[in-house]
Amino acid sequence: MSEMIQLSVFRYDPEQGDKPTMQNYKVPITGSGMKLLDALNYIKWQLDGTLTYRRSCGEGVCGSDGVNINGVNGLACITPIAGLKQPIHVRPLPSMHVIRDLVVDMDHFFDQYRQIQPWLKTFTPTPEHERLQTPEQRAELDGSYECILCGCCTTSCPSWWWNGDRFLGPAALLQANRWIVDSRDEAMGERLDQLEDSFRLYRCHQIMNCMEACPKELNPTAAINNIKRKLLARKS
Amino acid sequence: MNEKTTLPVKLPIKEPGAAHSGLSDWYWQRLSAVVLAVLLPLPFFLLVSVYGGSVDQQGLLDLLDHFISRLLHTLLIAALMIHVYMGLKVIIEDYVHVAGLRVCLTGAMLVVMTGFGIWWLAIIWAWGG
Repeated sequence: MSEMIQLSVFRYDPEQGDKPTMQNYKVPITGSGMKLLDALNYIKWQLDGTLTYRRSCGEGVCGSDGVNINGVNGLACITPIAGLKQPIHVRPLPSMHVIRDLVVDMDHFFDQYRQIQPWLKTFTPTPEHERLQTPEQRAELDGSYECILCGCCTTSCPSWWWNGDRFLGPAALLQANRWIVDSRDEAMGERLDQLEDSFRLYRCHQIMNCMEACPKELNPTAAINNIKRKLLARKS
Repeated sequence: MNEKTTLPVKLPIKEPGAAHSGLSDWYWQRLSAVVLAVLLPLPFFLLVSVYGGSVDQQGLLDLLDHFISRLLHTLLIAALMIHVYMGLKVIIEDYVHVAGLRVCLTGAMLVVMTGFGIWWLAIIWAWGG
């Protein structure tokens, strides 16, 4: 018999009206390099079909399986089982409304993303072919464009837990900075105007949980600091 | 469609936008921190000198009475009041979510801090003799 791993998974079904509980499962190791998502899949397909979670690509690209693993946010699909303390506690992303089991309501998160207007804004006439960038200008976007909006950073931020209704959170602010530093974007002033707010931007207290949680190893705190520097430079 | 659904009803997005402030708070908090970092060690140095016996009471009074000392002391108190006010304001904003209470608390704190600062200045500059 193959080696078994133990999991303790958050279960909640509001339609049943029950209180949330942690349910224990034992899952065999199915191969070397087994990821947490493989264990969740095993539970769903072999043990308990009622377990509900989001997953799509299974490769850390789509960002749909962000969960809280042993107290730390991460993507189940790229988190190796090896090295995780057992029983592995799997919970939904913190501070989010749970729809069922590990599935959380991401609407507010994406509303906040929409608020930073994540699209290219230009005022000059559209060029005949394309808006060109030098390799250096393109390199400015490194560390920002890789974000997959999984929500691991924002939901690990205590400042967002306390003031999530007003503080935009690390993910949205990382993206705000992505458009501010984009050489093709012509609305930096407008973007900075929309961020200059003691809650929307300055609620970041540099706790840096976002950086710890990011499965793509990005640094939203640095991006937020860059926005603060831009605002300071504008006023100085 | 399941009629028993308990998902919250989505409200239309009514977003107030930015208050166009926050930078000055952030700036003054950092500026006052730099002033404190430079000036705050001085009184401790003085304290150690007094306890160490290298400065006696008259020497201490002479030092504190000096115009430059009073100027630096004034700067230190101003920076301290600003820094404490900004820091506590951030904490109040973090934890007090009722706007009315938040405004009252911040206002009360501003009055208390200002009063305390003025009282201290009166001592430094020996207002009223």
